[in-house]
Amino acid sequence: MGNNDIIAAIATPPGRGGIGIVRISGKNLQPVALKIIGCIPEPRYASLSRFLDESGRAIDQGIAIYFPSPHSYTGEDVLELQGHSGPAVTNLVLSCCLAAGARLAQPGEFTLRAFLNNKLDLAQAEGVADIIDASTGEAARCALRSLQGEFSTAIRTAVQALTNLRMRIEATLDFPEEEIDFSGQRDIYARLGAIQMQLEHILASARQGSLLREGVRVVLVGQPNVGKSSLMNQLAGEEAAIVTEVPGTTRDAIRQTIEIEGVPLYLVDTAGLRETDDAVEKIGIARTRSAIEKADLALLLIDDSLGVTPGDQSVLDSLPAGLPVIRVHNKIDLLNRLPHIKDCEGQPEIYLSAKTGAGVTLLRRKLLEMAGWQPHSMGEGIFMARHRHLQALTEAREYLKDAIGLAERGIQLELLAEELRLAQWALSSITGEFSADDLLGEIFSRFCIGK
Amino acid sequence: MTFSENFDVIVIGGGHAGTEAALAAARMGQKTLLLSHNIETLGQMSCNPSIGGIGKGHLVKEVDALGGAMAAAADEAGIQFRILNSSKGPAVRATRAQADRVLYRQAIRHRLESQPNLWLFQQGVDDLTLEGDRVTGVVTQLGIKFSARAVVLTAGTFLAGLAHVGSANFHAGRAGDPPSISLALRLREMKLPVGRLKTGTPPRIDGRSIDYSVMTEQLSDSPTPVFSFTGSAAQHPRQLPCWITHTNLRTHDIIRDGLDRSPLFSGVIEGVGPRYCPSIEDKVVRFSAKEAHQIFLEPEGLTTHEVYPNGISTSLPFDIQVELVHSIRGMEKAHITRPGYAIEYDYFDPRGLKSSLETKTIEGLFFAGQINGTTGYEEAAAQGLLAGINAALKTQNRDAWCPRRDEAYLGVLVDDLITRGVTEPYRMFTSRAEYRLQLREDNADLRLTETGRNLGVVDDARWTAFDTKREAIAREQDRLKTVWLSAKNSRPSAGAEEVLRVLGKPIERDYSLHELLRRPDVSYASLMTLPGAGEIVSDPLVADQVEIQAKYHGYIERQKDEVARNAHYEETRLPQDLDYATVLGLSAEAQQKLNQHKPETAGQAARISGITPAAISLLLVHVKRGFSAPKKRKTHEFNGMSR
Repeated sequence: MGNNDIIAAIATPPGRGGIGIVRISGKNLQPVALKIIGCIPEPRYASLSRFLDESGRAIDQGIAIYFPSPHSYTGEDVLELQGHSGPAVTNLVLSCCLAAGARLAQPGEFTLRAFLNNKLDLAQAEGVADIIDASTGEAARCALRSLQGEFSTAIRTAVQALTNLRMRIEATLDFPEEEIDFSGQRDIYARLGAIQMQLEHILASARQGSLLREGVRVVLVGQPNVGKSSLMNQLAGEEAAIVTEVPGTTRDAIRQTIEIEGVPLYLVDTAGLRETDDAVEKIGIARTRSAIEKADLALLLIDDSLGVTPGDQSVLDSLPAGLPVIRVHNKIDLLNRLPHIKDCEGQPEIYLSAKTGAGVTLLRRKLLEMAGWQPHSMGEGIFMARHRHLQALTEAREYLKDAIGLAERGIQLELLAEELRLAQWALSSITGEFSADDLLGEIFSRFCIGK
Repeated sequence: MTFSENFDVIVIGGGHAGTEAALAAARMGQKTLLLSHNIETLGQMSCNPSIGGIGKGHLVKEVDALGGAMAAAADEAGIQFRILNSSKGPAVRATRAQADRVLYRQAIRHRLESQPNLWLFQQGVDDLTLEGDRVTGVVTQLGIKFSARAVVLTAGTFLAGLAHVGSANFHAGRAGDPPSISLALRLREMKLPVGRLKTGTPPRIDGRSIDYSVMTEQLSDSPTPVFSFTGSAAQHPRQLPCWITHTNLRTHDIIRDGLDRSPLFSGVIEGVGPRYCPSIEDKVVRFSAKEAHQIFLEPEGLTTHEVYPNGISTSLPFDIQVELVHSIRGMEKAHITRPGYAIEYDYFDPRGLKSSLETKTIEGLFFAGQINGTTGYEEAAAQGLLAGINAALKTQNRDAWCPRRDEAYLGVLVDDLITRGVTEPYRMFTSRAEYRLQLREDNADLRLTETGRNLGVVDDARWTAFDTKREAIAREQDRLKTVWLSAKNSRPSAGAEEVLRVLGKPIERDYSLHELLRRPDVSYASLMTLPGAGEIVSDPLVADQVEIQAKYHGYIERQKDEVARNAHYEETRLPQDLDYATVLGLSAEAQQKLNQHKPETAGQAARISGITPAAISLLLVHVKRGFSAPKKRKTHEFNGMSR
């Protein structure tokens, strides 16, 4: 919120380009620069640097350029980190900047600062309001999309639990003369633990970024002649499919790795799943099963002229509950259909031809989207929106940790309340403002208070 | 006729807001007139006979730190003193006093009458005189004209007051006093936005008809707390206990049977009552599962038998009031001396005020107290003090003083009022203050007395005492920073077992005593028992400060960072004539809200509900653009823009 604090953002458009740039701006950047590149580079010189994570481990190597105030885009100290491209690595660099003390910039914030510091001429300045307006509008839409489904439900549940606990603690502090036991000390501790676990759970299951870094595990369901290898080659596109044989499996190419726009995709072919008495083959099947357990999504490849076979169906039924499934109807060229995508009760169906390549872009985009990445989207995209949400959750979790530390030592309630206030404040970027008056409203509607 | 004297400041109303306003303006050397419809009721406690409580006690201490009268009067009139939340941390501890109404009134009246520069006059006010959009004085009921450069209006519940007992209602300021109807009409004409609120009181009881033997006694704390920073327990009169009893299921049945005759439930009362101070009929209806509600029987004073049964505020018809009182344990034979009633009154939407409490539409006119939609003596006194100070500053051609949210509950109170408005009578709670840990009762003087001195409201005696205390605290803090406890137990020469006794574990490096005091389980007193720790300070208040400041150190530093991060917005002033419809990119909702509020700063704008950070960015751009094109706008409006 403040005007001089240190902000960071990815400056290059999303997707795979030549280089990925992370830009940091703020008053007095030196401490952050020291943490990330281990030195203060000579002003306005391109210097080869290693970008370091919190533990000092190098995560990428690239060019760092330091623009001390006032000779920079924003008029503040600016540090530009130009690293290797690809969503995974650029996001990792950004995460390190955030860990080093920067915060994620608001949409349009670099331009805003440049404007406020007289760095834009009048003509450029005319557009500032438009930029802020457009980028916040886009960000708001992406935020809404990020906040759908289980993610949203889980957050709301956690926030409600936090609000409820705050209500009890604040009531204890503000209404000591009521004959109401708002919260026993032990009760508080248990509730804190529960909220902490909810937040941990959300963060763990969100797997934002980790999907980009570690890749998406995709289960491939489909009959032998449905066109799987053609599809894989099409998916990998001009970047040429990196086909890896996973050693130690008994059957050929049960697992393969391809890469789309820098995001690795691990494909597990369920064709190998069948009843067998062969001891060696059984081991292979067990491995495939365990790979399926960890899958992020399933791809059901259907010959559009045949539909879903009983064999496909029984494999589908054996997949873990809740695993998202994309139904891919292949061979539309034979039926003279046009490629398209449709939503069937929350599950996407894509019509394409692996042979001609028609519709493969649709599938590629869908896969990346489900991995949390939107290439070539306008503005910052849903990935960044989710990133913001996760950052808020992480921040809240830190305050909660402190609160639990206090509760363990039986420390005064008003200090605990302070940590919880900050936790709620951190979450307000997701849930919207929650004012002191809202909290009092909760208290008064729940408890009979007042003389 | 026109009164011969011209005044700097006129204060209308002699309640808790009016008296503090008049005293403050007069302390600042301004020629001040206090107009009240009845000099006998100056400083009257019209609701329950108690001062302070959580959040409210904080306000009283702040008023005191600024030289106000309320805490000192409570010390002279208090017949029971308690520290609430005493087992919890210092930030949420609060002082409360039950006061003898007569002694309290006397204490206030005495201060008013002995205050230099202050004139008292008994007359109701019917009208304000204006020159354009500037106030020039007032006209009383007899047609006497008084002129002044600033007017502070503290009309309480008197503006078009309407009292209800059952289906009967009558015009009143409070029970027994006439309302100010013509002034209310006049103010409505001035296009100041008006709303309607409601509050209530319980029936009063003759204490001789109460059987206390079946009730729980509640005594003063020991040692008896003191309210004012300059007060002492020796000022307190004889102490009396309060008593606690409860309603029961029969009481609730009686209430339910009478609901059809309750003005609250039959729709006669339009005003909105407070959620935290519901009438007994409200409690019974909304929390029907609750089998008993607590009632505090508060003595009204040393020279009266009247008792205030706090907890059964009601506007039910009198026959039901009698029945419900008689159903309560210990009150079977109670005699009601005054019926309970609800009162509806006008208030002005406080979003029409600047943070100085001056109205945005009429220059020189300040509003303070219940007419701004607040409830409580303490909230009224705090606003009165602030309005009095700012009215005086105005006549001295000095800038207004507007305490920030991180400086005082007074700042929280005013900022909440002007940025959020009210939907029910506003009462202070500590949970409203995000900087609660630094806004404590114990440091109200450290936060405000120096400011008060600069403003001219703090007299020499208070200033000298404060300065001595502040120096003693600083001296002791500095000393603790220079005394080191060595890991080898050399300096000071504490033995390992001594260290274990005080700290609970051995130390792994050298620590200054000041660092050790930050540990949650180490008290100042115990630290001072270490050999070589030196002399313990004699003033317990100084010792408390040293300890509390050390304990809260990390939290306060973090809050200060938060304040510093937002300081830019608080300092960015927004032009008052800005038409927000012309700000590019603002949503229609934001434009409408901002045009309605006309916030003074970007910080205020950000606290208006529904105004997003993006909207604030757009505002900054707009204001800045005006700055780069000075021909279009007057540049002086943008003073205070940083960079």
